[in-house]
Amino acid sequence: MIEFKNVKKIYSGALNAVALDDVSFRIEKSEFVSFVGHSGAGKSTILKLIYAEEKPTSGEVLFNGENITKITSRNMPYHRRRIGTVFQDYKLLAKKTVFENVAFALEVSGHTNKEIQENVPQILDIVGLGNKAESYPHEISGGEKQRVAIARALVHRPALIIADEPTGNLDPISAWGIIQLLLKINSLGTTVILATHDKEIVNNIKKRVITLDQGRIIRDHSKGRYAI
Amino acid sequence: MAAVSILTLALLIISVILVLSISANLGLKFIQDKIDIRVYFKSDVEETRIMAFRSEIQKYKEVKSADYVSKNKALDDFKAANAGKPDILKAIDAVDENPLLASVNIKAVNPEQYDIITKSVENSTFKDDIASINYQQYKLVIDRFNSTIKTIRKTGAFLFILFSLIAILITFNVIRMTIFNHGTEIEIMRLVGASNNFIRLPFVFEGVIYGCCAAVIAVILLFPIVKIVTPYIIGSAYVKVIEADFLRYLVFIFIAQLFVGTALGIISSLLAIRRYLKI
Repeated sequence: MIEFKNVKKIYSGALNAVALDDVSFRIEKSEFVSFVGHSGAGKSTILKLIYAEEKPTSGEVLFNGENITKITSRNMPYHRRRIGTVFQDYKLLAKKTVFENVAFALEVSGHTNKEIQENVPQILDIVGLGNKAESYPHEISGGEKQRVAIARALVHRPALIIADEPTGNLDPISAWGIIQLLLKINSLGTTVILATHDKEIVNNIKKRVITLDQGRIIRDHSKGRYAI
Repeated sequence: MAAVSILTLALLIISVILVLSISANLGLKFIQDKIDIRVYFKSDVEETRIMAFRSEIQKYKEVKSADYVSKNKALDDFKAANAGKPDILKAIDAVDENPLLASVNIKAVNPEQYDIITKSVENSTFKDDIASINYQQYKLVIDRFNSTIKTIRKTGAFLFILFSLIAILITFNVIRMTIFNHGTEIEIMRLVGASNNFIRLPFVFEGVIYGCCAAVIAVILLFPIVKIVTPYIIGSAYVKVIEADFLRYLVFIFIAQLFVGTALGIISSLLAIRRYLKI
């Protein structure tokens, strides 16, 4: 589904920081892959290359066989709709309710009201927030906010979910709840890519782990553990 | 709002220029219509002879019209013009014979052609029948009008360009701030796959709204401004004409303002979007 071929990424600037150095890997459909490593190891850069927020300095990034480094800005929205994204800071709109936050993803891509009314409650039930639809982000807990973000990521029924440190701001119990939700989504057939530096979580997932250090892949185990 | 007020100013300038140049043009036309050449014939010249002159003069391509005014008609006109002055009427009645002369009033197609027409009349075979040629000298007024129109257009265009640039800059800045204030929203829209136009359109609309608001305010302010300014520039004699015409042109001016205001707004938003809205 996703293939990196000798990808190199240098953030140009005073330091010309090398974020990724000759990275190659494949991720198959319905896989659950965790990227681990210290801050600055290149986890976020890999995720950004997948949802085409960044372009590689050299090398290719293939998504379903299509080279997304060459994607035009016109086609970018369609690429983004195939991918759900979840972040540490939730990225919810404070002035919209839970329902509206999720519906927003459908509105911006031109779905009808009827589709929104049908889909959003379903998705909110999946993430376990059916009863909080009318709450505002400031009225709910961090774990719940992250569930809203996951619901929003799911609402396009994407083939891939990208989660960049989704548990970074959460207590261990809420964090594990989010990971279980991601595992459940994965068990329904959606590919999940997780970036984290939480050792306990990675060790409990018992799925593929790719370890990064200073922009290089130093380990890639199918039943991996967090070991740096 | 800074953006709206500066846009209003730019629009006001262009509309004042429009009004002034339209009015000046109308005033010019109004004067040009009054210009004619009067060819007076000696009192012993036969009417048929005058008619022959008239039909010959009508053959000139420079001549728009040539009207014959008989002695009697001239007398009637004279009496009508002096209806309120019994002394003059009495004096004219006291003379047995009609003292007025028959004439032909010639209007040219183009005001510049009066000199040529006058010359050819002076040199025609009828020159011995002619008592006098009276060419109303409006040339000075016309020249003044023409130079006024030119000045209005020149300074107007300069001011308009200047203020348009300022307006674009300020509106650009305001929209830039809006883009920064909506950073999170824009980021989320991009992440959930909003189409590029969906993200851009609100900011274009912002520019359009500023332009339209400015047009409405400008048209409201325009009327008193024109009323105050026009007499100083064109002379109070024509203010009545201008006011009447101004109302007629108001709709046209408003449409022009809307058009220019919207265009300025859109230019500003597109510049800001290009520069600051990363898609």
